[in-house]
Amino acid sequence: MLTFALRRLLTTIPMVLVVVSLTWGLIRLAPGNFYSGERALPPAVERNLREKYGLDQPWYVQYGRMLGNTLRGDFGSSLKYPGETVNEILANAVPVSATLGLLAYALALVVGVTAGTLAATRQNSAVDHASMAAALVGISVPNFVLGPTLVLWLALTWYWLPPAMWDGWWSPNLIMPVLTLSAVYMAYIARLTRAGMLEVLRSNYIRTARAKGLPARTVLIRHAMRGGLLPVVSFSGPAVALLLTGTVVVEKIFALPGLGNYFINANLNRDEPLIIGIVAFTAIVVLVFNLLVDLAYGLIDPRVRY
Amino acid sequence: MRRRGRTLRLWLACAGLALAASACSPSTAGARYFGKVTPPDGQVLRYISASEPESLDPQIGTGQPEARIYVAFFEGLTEYDPKTAQAVPALAERWDVADANQTFTFHMRPQARWSDGTPITADDIVYSMRRGLSPDFATRTSYMAYDIAYAEAYNSRAAFVRDARSGDWLRDEAAPGLRLVVPGDAAAREALPPALRARIEGQTLVPVRAEDIGVEALDAHTVRFHLARPVPFFPGVLSHQFFRVVPRQAIERWGGTWTQPGHFVGSGPFRLDLWRPYDRISGVRNPMYWDAAAVRLDRLTFYAVEDQTTMMNLYKAGAVDATYNHTVPAAWLDQMRGLADHMNAPENANEFYYFNTTVPPMDDVRVRRAFSLAVDRDGLAEFRKTVTPLTGFVPDGIFPGYENQKTESFNPLRARQLLAEAGFRDASGAYDPSRFPANTIEILYNTSESNRQVSEFVQAQWKQHLGVTVRLRNEEFRTFLGTRTRREYTGLARAGWVGDYMDPFTFFDIFTTVGGNNGTGWLDARYVALLRQANREVEQARRYALLAQAEARLIEEQPVLPLYTPATNWMKKPYVKGLYPNPLTLHSWKHVYIEHDPAKWD
Repeated sequence: MLTFALRRLLTTIPMVLVVVSLTWGLIRLAPGNFYSGERALPPAVERNLREKYGLDQPWYVQYGRMLGNTLRGDFGSSLKYPGETVNEILANAVPVSATLGLLAYALALVVGVTAGTLAATRQNSAVDHASMAAALVGISVPNFVLGPTLVLWLALTWYWLPPAMWDGWWSPNLIMPVLTLSAVYMAYIARLTRAGMLEVLRSNYIRTARAKGLPARTVLIRHAMRGGLLPVVSFSGPAVALLLTGTVVVEKIFALPGLGNYFINANLNRDEPLIIGIVAFTAIVVLVFNLLVDLAYGLIDPRVRY
Repeated sequence: MRRRGRTLRLWLACAGLALAASACSPSTAGARYFGKVTPPDGQVLRYISASEPESLDPQIGTGQPEARIYVAFFEGLTEYDPKTAQAVPALAERWDVADANQTFTFHMRPQARWSDGTPITADDIVYSMRRGLSPDFATRTSYMAYDIAYAEAYNSRAAFVRDARSGDWLRDEAAPGLRLVVPGDAAAREALPPALRARIEGQTLVPVRAEDIGVEALDAHTVRFHLARPVPFFPGVLSHQFFRVVPRQAIERWGGTWTQPGHFVGSGPFRLDLWRPYDRISGVRNPMYWDAAAVRLDRLTFYAVEDQTTMMNLYKAGAVDATYNHTVPAAWLDQMRGLADHMNAPENANEFYYFNTTVPPMDDVRVRRAFSLAVDRDGLAEFRKTVTPLTGFVPDGIFPGYENQKTESFNPLRARQLLAEAGFRDASGAYDPSRFPANTIEILYNTSESNRQVSEFVQAQWKQHLGVTVRLRNEEFRTFLGTRTRREYTGLARAGWVGDYMDPFTFFDIFTTVGGNNGTGWLDARYVALLRQANREVEQARRYALLAQAEARLIEEQPVLPLYTPATNWMKKPYVKGLYPNPLTLHSWKHVYIEHDPAKWD
């Protein structure tokens, strides 16, 4: 298992390099530059800028420098925000996105797994129908509708919660963003859990466990859940990775200083070092979480061996 | 069972209707203000200042959102007047003008101090100018100082020419008071006119140094600027962020991180004490500021928020006290326009279309005039809700004493006549739309909902009044800029100009060269001569009269189709005093305070 993990970690490096190379090529294809604005710059000013940031050098020199920076994990200074390095920006923004994302995912897991399990054990009951109807709503209502609706009632009609902005890790400001963000995951996890549990509950080994005379609770938690939650585990890897790396819509609606805003603006601003930095970070997180999911399979499912 | 189902459906329908009604109905019906009006405790202003600033270094940040923040932390020789945005004394107590608007001497306040307590002297001004213009520093706003003698030369690594035998500097034939400047780069010198190349052949080239720039400290508190050309509005230019004085002691000690709280040294009424990127920047009163006694706020916080609806939500809930310009979403304007906390005033900006005057049919001034006359600008202004119609080129009502030139705004009959005169007529001589090559022209704009609405309005006007349908084409902003500068469009391209300083010249300057900001291909010797003459004029009324003649010439030639003067369109709680809707929406924060007595609210 250790060699498996190490081998997978090593393949991460070339994969990240491929991803950043593709991104770098795409940035070249986009017209315009970080310094272009409504006001045309005098040629001298443009030349000074190009010299300062090395844009006057041949493409292979620029490409090589970018690859070197990526390998060293130092992406240099942002072009749009010259006072800040990309690593500083990541260090400021990732904790915000991660807090929001992890809280939302934790909430989604607790509610989703509970609702899904209840629905599966009481199939076709009122509980099942109600929770699955709620899940359908959760999947269908996009977060740019849910967020503003929550704001309209909780912040602007009853003035219970602040309507937006970041105020630390543990503040009422986070309630609405977390609810908004978790709704769709909650719904999805509930449905995955229900489907997975229903399948497992009908299997032979559960019948055997029941026949042994184990209490229903033990059958459910120790035996059924291990198999029934596998779909949720494989869903969790990419989902958590995406949540960690920023959620543009929710961060915009609630004016949160997370990575999503930076990523969108970096692209609009043609801020090459920042784009490369965020893409490399995202790629690493996605690859690592996929690895974690694969490792988790081995722990949960006795059939999987490395 | 069936009945219960029906009742349930009825309940659901009612609940849905109630939700929809509550979401749509203006919750402020009958109110004077939008949302909560509870002032914060103490003297604290919470202000939404647009997106994250590019930098807290006033010589790096290029935009208005940055400028708004710099006014709090840095001061220049002059500052924006809170109501008119014209230059008022700041670090300089007064100034003298000499040499037909070409030499300015500023007398600085001896009591001015940096936030670390060291005095602000004329040397600091000289240092700031040399730093900002350094080609290695490479800032995007350096062109703002190109009116200063040899500033452009230093910034573009140019060289003086010294006579190899006599050792004298060669003079510039166009401006005899100045030395000749040639490109420092040998390849660029190859492109010079042959006569000039012959003149510098065999002479010594001496690179222009920072010390050559036309700014000198006469004594500790007197600084003199020598300009390359007459610039009567120079004190107004000095309020721009590029000219705000920067602290040599902190920059040399900390390098690029001097703007971090802790390293920060400033010259303005507030001192930086918190900076959380993409979230907030906060300052407290600077006790070292020369006019600290007049500063009323104890704390000033700028929030970085990008989404208009979120801004309005924060404002309504009373989490912020004021917002920057253009923050009220178009769909909300009907509701907000009547409220006492909606701030609206004409802006130092204009919105217009360029004509590509180098490609038929728009190379014919009659066609350009006809297309301009066929747009109902009053209707457009009504449609846009906050703006004022524009038929000249200079925004109306923001330059006291300047007489805006206006032409006939809307006359479809005359428009059709002009097109007939231009050759688009049938056998009887009447205008015939089918002869007009409408399929060859387009309106090019940068992708945005608002630009699309305006171009659709204009398109519909032409269809209605001229019987022609032009194409609309949109491009992403940075792509669009290149297309427009290279004139890779036929017909019209959208343009919006925000003045750099409070003088009509900032608008006229666009058309003094071809390329760059002038995407029309139009260059007129008489127009340029009138502007030159105006800027040599010392007396303001005569100068404005000459500028008005230039504007009249511009309208006559019609390389542009003026549309409207934008409006500032922002919100301010009634308890915030000293914050006015000025044409730049750049506020002198030291005048702002919170009024806790509701009887004195706006």
